[in-house]
Amino acid sequence: MLAIGVIGLLYLVIYPILFRQQNYLLNIVITSSILSVISLGVWLVFVIGRINIGQAAFVLLGAYVTAILTIRLNLSFWLCLPISGLVAGLIGFLIGIPILRLKGVYFDMLTLCLTEAAMLVMLNLGGLTQGARGIMNIPLPGALKMGTLIVIPAFRPGDYLSFYYLSAVILILTLMALWRLNNSRVGWNLRTLRQSDTLAPSCGIDIVRYRLIAYTICCFLGGIGGSLFVVYVQSIFPTSFKVIDSIYYMLYCFLGGLNYILGPILGAFLLTFTFEGLRVIQKYQEGIYACLMIIFMLWLPNGLLSLRFRRGAHKKGSDGTRSGTILDRIRQFVKQQTR
Amino acid sequence: MAQMIVNGIMLGMSYALIALGLTLIFGIMNIVNFAHGQMYMLGSFIVYYFYGIYHWNFFFALFMCIVVLALIGVIFERFFFRRIIKLSTRAESSMLLAIGTALLLENVALLSFGEKNRGVPPIDNRIYAILNIHIPGNRLVVFTVSIVLIAALLLFIRYTKYGLAMRALAQDKEVTYLMGVNINRISMMGFAMGASLAGVAGGLLALIFPIFFGSGANVSIKSFIMIMIGGAGVVPGAIIGGFILGMLESIGYGLIPGSVTYLIIIFAVILVLIIRPLGIMGKPGY
Amino acid sequence: MKVLEVQGLTKNFGGLVAVNNLDFQVGECEILSLIGPNGAGKSTVFNLITAYLKPTKGSIRFRDGEITRLKTHQIARLGVVRTFQETNVYREMTALQNVVVAHHLCCKVGDWGHFLNTWKARQDNRKIHEGSLKLMEYFGLLECKDEITSNLPHGQLRALEIAVALAAEPKLLLLDEPFTGMNPEETDRLVGMVRGIRDRGITIVLVEHDMRAVMTISDRIVVISFGKKIAEGKPEQIQRDNTVIEAYLGKTDEGEGS
Repeated sequence: MLAIGVIGLLYLVIYPILFRQQNYLLNIVITSSILSVISLGVWLVFVIGRINIGQAAFVLLGAYVTAILTIRLNLSFWLCLPISGLVAGLIGFLIGIPILRLKGVYFDMLTLCLTEAAMLVMLNLGGLTQGARGIMNIPLPGALKMGTLIVIPAFRPGDYLSFYYLSAVILILTLMALWRLNNSRVGWNLRTLRQSDTLAPSCGIDIVRYRLIAYTICCFLGGIGGSLFVVYVQSIFPTSFKVIDSIYYMLYCFLGGLNYILGPILGAFLLTFTFEGLRVIQKYQEGIYACLMIIFMLWLPNGLLSLRFRRGAHKKGSDGTRSGTILDRIRQFVKQQTR
Repeated sequence: MAQMIVNGIMLGMSYALIALGLTLIFGIMNIVNFAHGQMYMLGSFIVYYFYGIYHWNFFFALFMCIVVLALIGVIFERFFFRRIIKLSTRAESSMLLAIGTALLLENVALLSFGEKNRGVPPIDNRIYAILNIHIPGNRLVVFTVSIVLIAALLLFIRYTKYGLAMRALAQDKEVTYLMGVNINRISMMGFAMGASLAGVAGGLLALIFPIFFGSGANVSIKSFIMIMIGGAGVVPGAIIGGFILGMLESIGYGLIPGSVTYLIIIFAVILVLIIRPLGIMGKPGY
Repeated sequence: MKVLEVQGLTKNFGGLVAVNNLDFQVGECEILSLIGPNGAGKSTVFNLITAYLKPTKGSIRFRDGEITRLKTHQIARLGVVRTFQETNVYREMTALQNVVVAHHLCCKVGDWGHFLNTWKARQDNRKIHEGSLKLMEYFGLLECKDEITSNLPHGQLRALEIAVALAAEPKLLLLDEPFTGMNPEETDRLVGMVRGIRDRGITIVLVEHDMRAVMTISDRIVVISFGKKIAEGKPEQIQRDNTVIEAYLGKTDEGEGS
């Protein structure tokens, strides 16, 4: 509890006040926060035991929805944000229905293709998306008014602090909601899908429904992240979010640890800081990511947080022996040898 | 139209080579080789240097592709994948490792070869014409060599001791172990063969397509599409998948301008998977 | 009213007929055993009843309602729950968590209620927690309730699986080889527990190889060989039935002394 308080203080008060003039440093945290929101979505799909390599498609989708609504319909950003999320979630739901039935590998490979598909769609919807030219000069968020009361003042150009707090609030809300979901019975049901999707239906758990819940929420968060990015960077192109980005979102989850809800946040912040910090060697950026991935997987496959919490660690049975038929024992032995 | 079909068939054969490599690795080790496209890319660079720059014999350059990529395959399996399979509690880790290897190869290529697009001189300048269909000599060579290699692979898998071991391993790891097969060695062999298939396909297609460090990503996606259509882990699936993609690409690019072709192909994949969730020839158990 | 009615149940796998025109019924609070030599198709029958497999032909009725076309979780909701031949528990959860999760069907509150942690949801969870502890006590699992299931010995895992199945509050319980790997003591104890379950008003169908247990516990036995029913009746009748003996042991040779 104390740790949460300290981090919260650091995040919401100390860092922004200390660095309020240093746009560069504020930028790193803004980017990390938005990436965390997106990666939390991907994390949720890991919880049900699937790998989603297509999140960038929904980030792209959310970004374009916000861009188009803001420019063409002059809609306030504060409306576009939830709409982007909902559109992304809806499309995720519709695509999820056929593809979540697929077995592991096919699902993974197909989600990879989704990212490509999203780029191609945006490229070819010329009238709406302006194709390869992209959309630029997207306006900053205006004021959020309730009647004549200004709840949130309009964003001014060059004001990074506003974006800092915007992304921070969204991240905190997302984390709270997901944390609540994860701890509720719904979260436990989601976990059963990964641990035994043969046993779950026998307990009355509708695995199709819960898969869809996780995937839809994931895509929704992708859309929200895209919306935040596009209004921050103020431009969008079909190639703004590529396959490599989908992979990065996965990487953040892995780095932090797939068993922990804070994992993707830790991963996103850590890696973003590291690479901004090492800007000098940006030429080697991908190469270092790659080496990191490999080293990590070989030595710490359960993520950084597994060092601290040791959850899911396998201990020897209390009496060390396992009863069961001789056939069972042979099976266990062979399984170990052939792992 | 006939021209497009012929092009499709010829391209499909080479694509089938790539798919076969991927399916071999997946069938034996249950790992999706994300670096498959990058291995293809390395193969094309090997041909670029040995054949294009040093002017060695083209077929010898292809042989070098096989050797070098087999070596890379052996290293990957022995030091990376074997360890992760033993260590990790979750199945996803080997996928992330595979992605890491892909990025590694791509980055190494970028640093070594630079960003420029390259090309190699054609091996056969003539253009053959049969019944109004034009077949460049280059493509004919690629087509012929692809068929030979595929046939060789099929014979190997069907009739040799090692091929049999690989098929057994793909079907049931534990029983194969109990039969006394050294599954580590067979896995290594399988991975090496899969890698060299990707490499030799890259070397062959270097005659036709541009050579650059980023070509791997696209090829990876194409090989996944082939596997999804045809079915993962089964040899006929890879061949069918390769064929179908070759045809779809050829006809698609011929009839529809621009990049919509691949969009249609991806939707076609989703459609196939809805009707047959394991691909056309996929077998349950994967 | 028959609790379970299977009519003309057939399952083809390509050329192989795993279950061949099977008919049987189970009455209220009965303990019925399905026995037969290996490969006879007994587990397949369970898979068909609980919709893990789709039947090629035939119908399955539960309490006068057709359940042939339903999905597994819907059938569970109606009250038909099974256990599995291979050990099947949630491996990264503790024993208690397994049982609590399995109480999914007992929840009065839906997903939104649980997400928002309403007062009703908390009430639900408390009730379920208590119920789970009582269930585990019945199966003698209280000492290991906080142990991760992958650490539990075989005997306790099997008991846990039955506890998990009961958490779903079934009216018909299908037990798939529950006595496998148990020594005579454990077997006797489990026989007692199964009887106790029946006394609570639950109908039970067993698939089992352990003849001692089967003969002790069953009210009726159905014998299956190569997917067909070859005999049906009380344990004493089955023990003396020639077709059954033949199916298990084969025909005696005419040439040798019989």
